[in-house]
Amino acid sequence: MHLTQQIKEDTGYAWVMEKMSPASPFGRALARDPAWYGPEDREALETELDRVAQATALLRRESTALDETTHILSEFHDIRNSLNRTDGAPMDEVELFEVKHFLLNLSQLVRAYSVLPPLKDLELKPLTGLLDLLDPSGRRLPTFSVEPAFAPGLARIREEKTELEQALRGCAGAGREQLLARRRDLVRREDKLELEVRCRLTQALLEEKDELTGTMDSIGRLDLIVAKAFLALRFGCARPELSEMPEVRAVEMVHPQVADHLEERGGHFTPVSLCLRRGTCVITGANMGGKSVSLRSISLNLILMQTGFFVFAQSFSAPLFEEVSLICTDRQSVEQGLSSFGAEVAAIGEILREEREKLFFVALDEFARGTNPREGASLARSLAEYLNGRNCVALMTTHYDGVSDVAVSHYQVAGLSALDTAAIKPGEAPLDRLSRLMDYRLIPTPPDAPCPRDALRVCRLMELEPELMKIFSENS
Amino acid sequence: MISLLAPLVGDASTISLVGLCKNAGKTTAMCRLIRELDGEKLAMTSVGRDGERKDIVTGTKKPEIWIPRGTLFATVQGLLPLCDTTVSVEAVTDAMTPLGVVAVFRALSDGYIQLAGPSAVPQLEPLSRTFRALGAQRVLIDGAAARRSLACVGEDGCVILCAGASMPGGVSAIAAETAHLCQLFASREPENAALRAALSNTRARFALFTPDGDSLPLEREENGQPRWGSLPRKRCVLWVAGGVTGSLLRILAQRGVPAAVAVPDATHFLQDRGATERFLRGGGRFLVRRRLAIAAVTANPWSAYGRHLDRRELLDALRAAVAVPVVDVRQENGGN
Repeated sequence: MHLTQQIKEDTGYAWVMEKMSPASPFGRALARDPAWYGPEDREALETELDRVAQATALLRRESTALDETTHILSEFHDIRNSLNRTDGAPMDEVELFEVKHFLLNLSQLVRAYSVLPPLKDLELKPLTGLLDLLDPSGRRLPTFSVEPAFAPGLARIREEKTELEQALRGCAGAGREQLLARRRDLVRREDKLELEVRCRLTQALLEEKDELTGTMDSIGRLDLIVAKAFLALRFGCARPELSEMPEVRAVEMVHPQVADHLEERGGHFTPVSLCLRRGTCVITGANMGGKSVSLRSISLNLILMQTGFFVFAQSFSAPLFEEVSLICTDRQSVEQGLSSFGAEVAAIGEILREEREKLFFVALDEFARGTNPREGASLARSLAEYLNGRNCVALMTTHYDGVSDVAVSHYQVAGLSALDTAAIKPGEAPLDRLSRLMDYRLIPTPPDAPCPRDALRVCRLMELEPELMKIFSENS
Repeated sequence: MISLLAPLVGDASTISLVGLCKNAGKTTAMCRLIRELDGEKLAMTSVGRDGERKDIVTGTKKPEIWIPRGTLFATVQGLLPLCDTTVSVEAVTDAMTPLGVVAVFRALSDGYIQLAGPSAVPQLEPLSRTFRALGAQRVLIDGAAARRSLACVGEDGCVILCAGASMPGGVSAIAAETAHLCQLFASREPENAALRAALSNTRARFALFTPDGDSLPLEREENGQPRWGSLPRKRCVLWVAGGVTGSLLRILAQRGVPAAVAVPDATHFLQDRGATERFLRGGGRFLVRRRLAIAAVTANPWSAYGRHLDRRELLDALRAAVAVPVVDVRQENGGN
């Protein structure tokens, strides 16, 4: 599965990625396009999670244990462009300097990594042969020049050039022109020899391109594991369990982006717990009750798990899905001229066509709310019923009655049902009041329980026009 | 060769060459400095492009830059084939250009180089640090013409102002504009210690203070620009971290309340002479956080556009207009 920018943003994955800071260009490239662990990659994902757990345990024991490693990682420059040359042109001195810098830095990284407890199946080797190639005198200086050790003829030319330049320093007039002409000839010969050396070095480096790119990949993976460990420690993330069953179980799950936003406003995120079995689970409940946040939390944690991250929950277990989708109001499609209903139908249509026989997860936020309520309710109910028969775990939020009747499980937001009107503080900002009085917990509910009627109370708490509220109360 | 510029720049650790116009003679002045400072470990870069034989814009012949071995220089990767010194690559910078990355080289032989370094101030400061870490005693920065704000870095730097005949208007206009720039560079740090401290500590793009250094509120437009119409109708000091333009000074002058405009250093004054005069006539003042000395003015009577001037006349007019030493760097004796 390829993670689109849309799903990264809709779930909050992009926000999580911003909180993570791989130090090297190779780690950042991997974070931009993360590896997806599908059902066939269970073993590889377990190994990746083992490595993150190892790094996390190391940091927990000693918070500075990886400082040197991260410092060395931050010193790498991206040299992939220099290796991806199709024109056969030789590398210039700056490119050769960059490759040498990469190899010297790699040697340091290997040294720092060797004193750490080794991470499972992640080896780093110094490319000493290539370093010797670029540093024939073996001085390991952090500079690069086409030194005489590369080509014996260079030493003689440069000695002659130096003598001429000495002579030029005190010379003017016609004599100077003669000396300059001789110098130009020497410079041409020097350039020719330097070019031969650069061609030879470039060819030798390109012959080892696979070795070099493989090493960059290993550096990137190490960098990303370290970044994942720092992220897990910072947010108190847990290692997810890979389940054999088509069942997603989340205990005390949070959405870090929403939690962060709430904390900035002095609020507190109420963790939610959910168990989703094969088929459709429906969440109903009050507006502003956190249904969409639960949907995004599950989707986010599934994507994090399947890209080798620890998750934002006390515990979390799920199978490996071929595809994880979140269908919510797609602003981009709406901007492109599709109605919100049209965009939803197009998105679910594509998933159902492509995911035949594969185990997939789909989350739908108030599906079909953009069409007329009678048809919308019927379509949402039909989709829930249809998804019960597919190889998937589906989670839907809805305000429509009757949808949960056909679901395999049903949760309701505890909402404002236990609202104590005496708790209303005058002068409090409506949104703060609502979030203080709302009970965001998800309560397992029988499938046929009706949708709660909280709109009136929500409007009252949000201080809608009194006259309008009066008419609304009479009509309700 | 007589030392003309070396005694004037003294021990300045950074020397910035500022041009009054294009083809003002910056590179000629820099080449002379390189020769006069023989024996020192120099480092150099340019915020434009220098050292090429022909000007890409005007097609006129330009001075080439010849450096002694050991000199450090920063230029873009793509110009390396046009440098004929033997080089060692010492570092690469974060400055990326269409001609590749800007790298720092050490010349392992004497020879010609072409310079095109970073063009942004934030990139010049780390480059100067790299130069010094690599052993440079002095940094020479060839600034692009008419981009004065990009020209100077360094705590104890000085400026060489290059005036040339390529500027339209003849001798009198060149002398007047040179005098204008010298006047701006003569701006002083505030006398009030609290105001000096307040200016040192501010990180904002625009800020407003009382003459005693107390912070004043500065209302903003939606685009983040200050709302000029709501400045207080009393004496105040306006801090401008970027460039001061003629239009800004005209707005301040129109308000009729004397104000002081404070900038990090005089290279941030980008306004025309008319705006300066109008602002000062209304009682305005210029302040700088850090004073930069103009060590010398160089005169170049040769014009890229063919309107060459009389050398003697130009030198005399400049000397009459400014108090700093004026030299003709093409003359062995400085034009005396």
